[in-house]
Amino acid sequence: MTQEVQVAAHVASPVLHGGTRWRRLPISLWIGGLIVVAHLLVAILGPFLAPYAPGQMGAGIPLSGASWAHPFGLDQLGRDVFSRVLHGAWLVLVLSLSGTILGFLLGGIIGLISGYLGGRFDLVVMRIFEALISIPVLFSALLIIALVGAKASGTLVLIVIVIGFVYAPRVGRIARGAALEISALQYVLAAKLRGDSAWRIALREILPNATGTLLVEFATRAAYAPVLVASLGFLGFGIRPPTPEWGLIISENRDLIFISPATIIGPGFMLASLVIGINLLTEGISRILGRTVTQRN
Amino acid sequence: MPLLRFIATRISISLVTMLIVAVVIYFATAILPGDVASRLLGRSPDPTALAILQKRLGLDVPLVFRFLKWLGHVLIGDPGVSLISGQPVAEIVGRTLWNSSLLALLALLIYLPIAVIPAAIQAIYADRKTDHAISGAALGIMSLPDFLLGTFLLLAFAAWWPIFPPRSTIDETSGALDVLRALVLPAVTIALVMGTYATRYLRENLIEVLNSDYVRMARLNGIRESTVLWRHAFPNALVPTLNVTSLSLTYLFGGVVVVEKVFAFPGFGNLLVSSLMQLDVPVIQATVLVAAAIYVAGNLVADLLTVMVNPRLRYQ
Repeated sequence: MTQEVQVAAHVASPVLHGGTRWRRLPISLWIGGLIVVAHLLVAILGPFLAPYAPGQMGAGIPLSGASWAHPFGLDQLGRDVFSRVLHGAWLVLVLSLSGTILGFLLGGIIGLISGYLGGRFDLVVMRIFEALISIPVLFSALLIIALVGAKASGTLVLIVIVIGFVYAPRVGRIARGAALEISALQYVLAAKLRGDSAWRIALREILPNATGTLLVEFATRAAYAPVLVASLGFLGFGIRPPTPEWGLIISENRDLIFISPATIIGPGFMLASLVIGINLLTEGISRILGRTVTQRN
Repeated sequence: MPLLRFIATRISISLVTMLIVAVVIYFATAILPGDVASRLLGRSPDPTALAILQKRLGLDVPLVFRFLKWLGHVLIGDPGVSLISGQPVAEIVGRTLWNSSLLALLALLIYLPIAVIPAAIQAIYADRKTDHAISGAALGIMSLPDFLLGTFLLLAFAAWWPIFPPRSTIDETSGALDVLRALVLPAVTIALVMGTYATRYLRENLIEVLNSDYVRMARLNGIRESTVLWRHAFPNALVPTLNVTSLSLTYLFGGVVVVEKVFAFPGFGNLLVSSLMQLDVPVIQATVLVAAAIYVAGNLVADLLTVMVNPRLRYQ
């Protein structure tokens, strides 16, 4: 079976055994952590630090390019792009994180139980997961948004649901694989003989031991979620204007790229740095856990 | 006969998966907000007009029968006509699929050296400065969302240094050179995205193989280091990379929606976006189904190739 995220267990790293010392943590964890913390600060403080309101037109001469007063330039309506990026920072974080968590709750629970129970239930669940996974991420996301219709489209909740729904089967497959491996171990047999329910075994015996695998998977998914949110905004299927969502800002200024490139480079840099931060963090975490992350899809 | 049985099992599993996809797509697009007829006629349609249109679209038959009929038509390669343009869906999908295939082909050609050369350099200088520098660069490119990467390439090679057209629109009338020029920037974007993933994977595998006993044996036999790398180590490191490449293949047709949008390329992803915006249901169904089929087929081929290269897996 092909796996999207192949998590190969290597020799357990000495970090966990030798007691976790700060300076022995991988450097990627440090840099990634710093970048992510910086983004958190921007998300929280951004609206207070921004020199202009996100929708304030005529903050300067439209399309006049980057300057000290307007580091990311001004858009067609004369809105300060830097202020808009600061005001929208929390959106990307909140949407990505809640969507990923939703996907993990849905997919993780179904996957763990399916892997533990096995048999016919597992067979059916896995076929459905496989079918849902075979529809590319963006295709499923766009499809759900278009099908929900105009009434709910563009709302924050819909975006969270879309991410959760798209991630659920992908996470479910990983969780199921982990559960399958753990179910064969002796202490699960012991719990079974004790007469514990499937729920209890899934949550108390299997989940804690699948944490490492799921954590790496979570970080990988969380790193892709901002890209997904921004891609939807970019395609015009995401949050509605005039909300200062980063993908939307980039898409709004796309036609002006030859006149005022700063309006795209600015929000683009912010988005890319967030993803780089989470990716580095993921790499650090997986190095501590002695695993290698190789593929996302 | 374990190989034949393995192939038969894998193919039947793939068919079941495709059947589930067909059910999901059809019922999702049929059930959700109102039926197609009322959507086409607007907010408060005239009941007679609605009834006539429903009959013409065959919506007066129960859903399950409609599904079976649709599935039958899809299987013989005729998924109906577009609700918007009236053209056969097969023709529309075929045209964009052809465009996307051209793009995919060029992207794959660029992808191979992007994936292989850095990985080989990294494996030779494993855990030294060169290795870390390439890893860092790859992580940077990988973290750049594809639409940004495309936009930046556009900015650099269509605006500042205008050697490529800013819009990659092609049609039947464009000459071969125009098509090629239009394809380069989107192809490079896609190749960079795919290549950085494959490089990470290939590097790990190469390092592992280079540390194996038979490679040491080859070195002790006095075989040149470059021969050891390319003739002895590389083929074995390539096998696990097959899966990554097959997944990348599905990215070529399913994930490039945004890249096609950046370059205004009339490809498969753009078709989905436009059909979704117009709620052109037959086109939506066909597009999603084809994308899923490409994914399933890609996985199937990768699995079969892996098993053919490594016979031990057949018995699992």
